[in-house]
Amino acid sequence: MILDMNAYLGHFAFRRLRYNTADALLRLMDSKGIDRAVVSSAGAITYRNVQPGNEDLFASVKPHRDRLIPFAVVNPFYAGWEDDLNVCHEEFGMKGLRIYPKWHNYALTDSCLGDMVSAATERKMPISVPLRVEDYRQRSWLVDVPDVPLSEIAELLPRHPEARFILLNGAGFIGSPLAREGEQLPANYWIEISRLSALLANEIGQLVAKLGADRVVFGTGMPFQYPDPALVKLEVLDIPEEVKEKIRWQNAAALVGENG
Amino acid sequence: MHRRPTITRRSLLKSSAAAAGAVLAGVRHAPVFAADSEASAKDGAVVIDCHAHLCHHSQADYREKDLLLIEAADKLGIDKLCCSILTPRRPATPEGFRECNGWLAEAIEQFPGRVLGYCYVNPGHTSEALDEIRRSIEERGFMGVKLYNEHVCTEPVVFPVVELAIELRVPILHHAGRIHHPFPEQPNISDGGDLAELGRRYPEARIICAHVGGGGDWEWTIKALRHAPNIYLDTSGSVVDDDMIGLAASTLGTDRLLFGCDMSMTAGIGKIRAADLEEADKQKILGGNMTRLLAMRNGT
Repeated sequence: MILDMNAYLGHFAFRRLRYNTADALLRLMDSKGIDRAVVSSAGAITYRNVQPGNEDLFASVKPHRDRLIPFAVVNPFYAGWEDDLNVCHEEFGMKGLRIYPKWHNYALTDSCLGDMVSAATERKMPISVPLRVEDYRQRSWLVDVPDVPLSEIAELLPRHPEARFILLNGAGFIGSPLAREGEQLPANYWIEISRLSALLANEIGQLVAKLGADRVVFGTGMPFQYPDPALVKLEVLDIPEEVKEKIRWQNAAALVGENG
Repeated sequence: MHRRPTITRRSLLKSSAAAAGAVLAGVRHAPVFAADSEASAKDGAVVIDCHAHLCHHSQADYREKDLLLIEAADKLGIDKLCCSILTPRRPATPEGFRECNGWLAEAIEQFPGRVLGYCYVNPGHTSEALDEIRRSIEERGFMGVKLYNEHVCTEPVVFPVVELAIELRVPILHHAGRIHHPFPEQPNISDGGDLAELGRRYPEARIICAHVGGGGDWEWTIKALRHAPNIYLDTSGSVVDDDMIGLAASTLGTDRLLFGCDMSMTAGIGKIRAADLEEADKQKILGGNMTRLLAMRNGT
């Protein structure tokens, strides 16, 4: 079993995405041996009002809920986010959130975000944070959206010790507060592997050693990214098979409450 | 000296669920490398990373890091690494690039047939750069020239280096990237358009545009190189965006693509495995095209 914690459906404003419908993504997953994926709306990254993106996602995954696990994109600074969260959770059955603080232009220390994190945590919804959408160097001339710095994540985590954060598309954790010896951060965050090295510096292996085997999850970034590089990482990682199994799906399944 | 690779040539070439299935079934070394090696010996297939780096010796752990690169290549089934060593600070002085190339010459001896060498120079120091290139190619067996970002490649100061590379029949790997915003860290970075212009000026030159996945807007880069038949594109870089290799193949043709990692090892291999290309085309990208470039030196 492989569960991809980092996948998307829909259109992205700055580049055509192939495999961005449910059927196409499932075909790609079949061809790569990926069983299930957590998906959110790619369009909602640049929508002002994100909720239509969540509605489209809900319609797309409805016939495929056995394989596609929807996460809602929520912007805590947009009017009506509480209503949107309610609909996404209670009517759409979405299992968690994706937030884009830099794209949606708010700070992780803003109180509105705190309210949203609390609301999501009450609903037992994990909150995933893509630290970037695309590589910063290829950004369009229209936008200048930076990556979410790990230092800001490190400030967010202790404010919400009961929340569960999943950090997507990140790198450089080793040496940061999130993996540094002696840091007193709560164990309320999980790290997805799509940008981490499995050879040379072997950031994945180091994170497993520092944080534990339960805190690292598999993800590809499909359909923004080819899924194969993440799969190759699993193949070459020099860690026990039972740890790989946790990374492949068990940790992610526990986070989304679908561990069978 | 080769360890059995985790990624075999066959699984590297095929983007099928079968490879994933083998892993899921706990078969870590699915088809044995020996069988693949026999097959590749017959068809001359070889996997060559066209863009790698060894460490500058100011890093205390350079030996360990260099060995990790060889180990990673072993795991991934990469036969040869085309390496350069860059100075930590640029623009490089003649003393700086000579020192780097000296260390690389030692590594070529230490890992014969495994580590190939690009001679790194700053073309702004014309006579020193030309002397260093000639000595490195003719006496030390280096296979090419590495240019970084000291000068935009269309500046006349670069031309003597290109002319010498043509004379010596070796390729130039040129750092490149297209960033749509001001890029103060690298004010003299070249992009695909600059390299295409250089290629038109010197149609006999064989120039490699570095790391399509590490230099900004890769779609722009690929389109800029379309009508520059003597410019090759290195597939390396940490960016693994879907369809990068497919667009490059359909726009430039697979004869102009060179597999590379630039130290992003699983990204480099994963992109090629993922690409929707025929096996023969992947073989060309993985090593066939670079083999042709290396053969230029021998006049073939």
